[in-house]
Amino acid sequence: MDRRNFVKLVGTASGGAVTGACGRQAEEIIPLLVPEESVPVGVEQWHPSVCGECSAACGTLARVMASEREIEVDGELVRQKIAAVKKLEGNPLDPVSGGRLCARGHASLQSLYNPDRLRGPLKRVGPRASGQFEAISWDDAITEAAGALAAADPGRILFLARARESVRSENIARFLEAVGAPPATSIGVGDFAAERASSERVFGRSGLPLYEIQDSSLVLSIGADFLGGWASPVLYSRRYGHMRQGRRELRGRLIHAESRFSLTAWNADRWLPVWPGGELALASAIGHVLLGEQIADTPASVVSIFADVDLEKAAGAAGVPAETIRQTASELAQASAPVVVAGASMVRRNSADAVAAALALNWLLGCVGKPGGVIPPADPLGVLARQPRFSQDWSERLEQAAVVLVDGVNPAYNAPASQGALAAAQTVISFSSFLDDTSAFADLILPDHDPLEQAALEVPAVSPSPSIAAAGEFVAPLYDSRPIATALSELAEAAERPFEELTVGQAVSTLHSAVESAGSETSASDFEATTLRDGGWQGQPSGKPPATPGTLGTFEIAAKQEGVMFQAYESPQFGSGSGANRPWLQELPDPTSSALWGLPVEMDPATAERLGLVNGDNVRIRSEYGALEAPVYVNPAAIPGVVSMAVGQGHASYGRYASGRGANPMVVVGNARDEKTGCPAMGPTPIRLEKIAGGARLVQFSRQDRDLPPHRV
Amino acid sequence: MAEQTAEQTEQGAERTPQWAMAIDLDRCTGCEACVVACASENNVPTAGEDQAAMGRTKHWIRIDRYYEGEFPDIKVKYRPVMCQQCDEAPCEPVCPVNATYQNAEGLNVQIYNRCIGTRYCANNCPYTVRFFNWFAPEWAEPLNLQLNPDVSIRPSGVVEKCTFCAHKIKRAKLDADAQGRELADGDVQPACVQSCPAEAMVFGDMTDPDSKVARQLGSGRSGQLLESLGTKPRVFYLEKAD
Repeated sequence: MDRRNFVKLVGTASGGAVTGACGRQAEEIIPLLVPEESVPVGVEQWHPSVCGECSAACGTLARVMASEREIEVDGELVRQKIAAVKKLEGNPLDPVSGGRLCARGHASLQSLYNPDRLRGPLKRVGPRASGQFEAISWDDAITEAAGALAAADPGRILFLARARESVRSENIARFLEAVGAPPATSIGVGDFAAERASSERVFGRSGLPLYEIQDSSLVLSIGADFLGGWASPVLYSRRYGHMRQGRRELRGRLIHAESRFSLTAWNADRWLPVWPGGELALASAIGHVLLGEQIADTPASVVSIFADVDLEKAAGAAGVPAETIRQTASELAQASAPVVVAGASMVRRNSADAVAAALALNWLLGCVGKPGGVIPPADPLGVLARQPRFSQDWSERLEQAAVVLVDGVNPAYNAPASQGALAAAQTVISFSSFLDDTSAFADLILPDHDPLEQAALEVPAVSPSPSIAAAGEFVAPLYDSRPIATALSELAEAAERPFEELTVGQAVSTLHSAVESAGSETSASDFEATTLRDGGWQGQPSGKPPATPGTLGTFEIAAKQEGVMFQAYESPQFGSGSGANRPWLQELPDPTSSALWGLPVEMDPATAERLGLVNGDNVRIRSEYGALEAPVYVNPAAIPGVVSMAVGQGHASYGRYASGRGANPMVVVGNARDEKTGCPAMGPTPIRLEKIAGGARLVQFSRQDRDLPPHRV
Repeated sequence: MAEQTAEQTEQGAERTPQWAMAIDLDRCTGCEACVVACASENNVPTAGEDQAAMGRTKHWIRIDRYYEGEFPDIKVKYRPVMCQQCDEAPCEPVCPVNATYQNAEGLNVQIYNRCIGTRYCANNCPYTVRFFNWFAPEWAEPLNLQLNPDVSIRPSGVVEKCTFCAHKIKRAKLDADAQGRELADGDVQPACVQSCPAEAMVFGDMTDPDSKVARQLGSGRSGQLLESLGTKPRVFYLEKAD
């Protein structure tokens, strides 16, 4: 008997759990006590679904098993057998997720089973934003909402929705057409308005370009935190993994330029800490140096934007030494397969120009349409032509609106300045499943089914090939909610307007017609069955050569803004704030600060020392727009003078896990906008800081920022 | 253990897989998808803010992150850390009731209904990956519907930790049996491995020379956490290649 088994037997006997076993082998004793590996496994089914957390629209699989819940029937509690979703995973057949899933995707299950989901339609009975509502029947809710719509001037009906290319968006568009209202608009959160506008300028096609980083030898990312949530985090994480270790002969390198030490900066071989707003200066300076390398046959319009750049001045505006810029440009010029990833994870006043300049660097590098380079956006599939797009004047229209309809966006949180207009609007109708910051302003809430309770079809924002993610229905709705398409259909009927709902099946048929005309011989019924069985469809990349850009316009590099600057950013766990009501995400350590159940203000050690601040002290931050108070995290990697805070907390209303917790950084950021697209900026905003006594506590998973010296035995 | 199995295989005896995991830190991005995937798969309860402030969260897998250097030449060193399933596990000999032991396949197994909650094992674990249930876990209705029936709910007073998704190993074996075939490489994917967007994690039988995990261990970048302690973990880290 070896030492291990001896210890086991002695331990067992002394614990008294099993007696008289001294002569037996440990292996015979132990199974009497049911180790985890012996627990019987249940019967499971996997159904395709579509993740709605961000515009990446990952195809997922939902694990469905028999379950039961307690419900009240005639005043008595009874157990009801139901099919319940137990887990979400990526769908291996989906070209975007490839079978993988991010933290937010997993946690979307806690939207479906969130205890704060609305059980049915609600009517406001107290003042706006007071949270005082009473239950109302669907018939009454539809009648009231239709009445408000009928009484309103159609031109003053404003529909705020997410910028998604989906069956849902198409139904919203059909509804608005039926009532004669203008198309829906997004509020510029998570729809990449600056990136789309830049692509239009540089490639002549709106949409998000596809970066082939998996085949790159050197990736320079300017402003795009592509591993931390930008554009399509699962797709780009998969590609990043391959770039690093998927090729035997080559390990790709990453240089990342951003004003924050984001997840992408964590992973970079070199981080260029660019001053917030200096991304345009940096891209221009790199372009200027690259022109001297004469490495590719570059369109004249691209040459013209970089030719007259003053390198030293641009380096000063970017806050990056000119020598570092020269070195970076030189490495790009020498790389066998370089690419520049251009994005605005944090939108600035000049983001449309900054992203366009960074994107145009790819022309200089000769990597447009090449392996390891950048592929301009594909032509639309033509199945879902209409989707809400960001419109600059949405806040002005909100102030004039007679009826405001809100689906999937939270302007009261993401654009706090809109609260006044929401409070003053004649009628606000929300389709939210939760009493969130915006639905608290609503007169009527017509709660939608959870995304997992309804069929869906969506075109991902970026995909390696033309594709859709699709799902049928597979679990019954828990509550008295209705899919938004049904609610819109009933509203149109009550208002006696013609509305024909687009179903997922019909959208798949339209796609089949498009595919058929391209030479496919699959029958319509087979195509629909296969698409819904596999959770989507994937075509072949068009291989269409990119168009040479026309005039790119002028790019003005502003001098570096001096003073202490504040910037807000979207964290990997909370996104634009919608993740805050999921307990898994609240208890997920914030990557930067390791904070749980709250988010701190992050600042560099020198600024903290100047103010006499240590981790957990509270500060008041004031800008010309507003003020907030929050605990401090002294971030060893923060740029001196740049104070950052993740979006996520500070919800006035969003259920038990999020309401009244922490502060909303958008209050301080205010209503700064990208000058060309009008898209809401996330800083830099000049601020004043002061230490305050007391305040919220900073709860950290790990308080230790530095590793201890190596353990010695 | 590994050598014994190789011997058995040569003699034609039934193969006993020796489970191991390789984590490529050159792929890992620190995104924490694995952390939520694990909580979802294994019914890991959230502690809430007050308990979290007392250090009582349960993360069967976590991302350790440490800053190195000073701005602007700053780096962050990070890695996913879960139960290292040690061959010489410091947690095992200190348990007075033998609630934790290494099974034939190399898993460091925790028997909840034997555990009496001394927490000696958690104290003795150099990786701090064992968690004590100070309270019975609670899920506000209907969050309980998300619970995975294949995994026990741990009561108050017991220690819990990563199992390498033992229930998924069992399911994979049952599926292979039903199909009348041997368990193949890749059949077992613990939740963290399955979810990892960067495909940084590989799980399999380290004694099967054709398995992905065995090939990773031979990559030349492989090492173990706190190797000098002699705990012989079954989790191997492939260091960054820069």
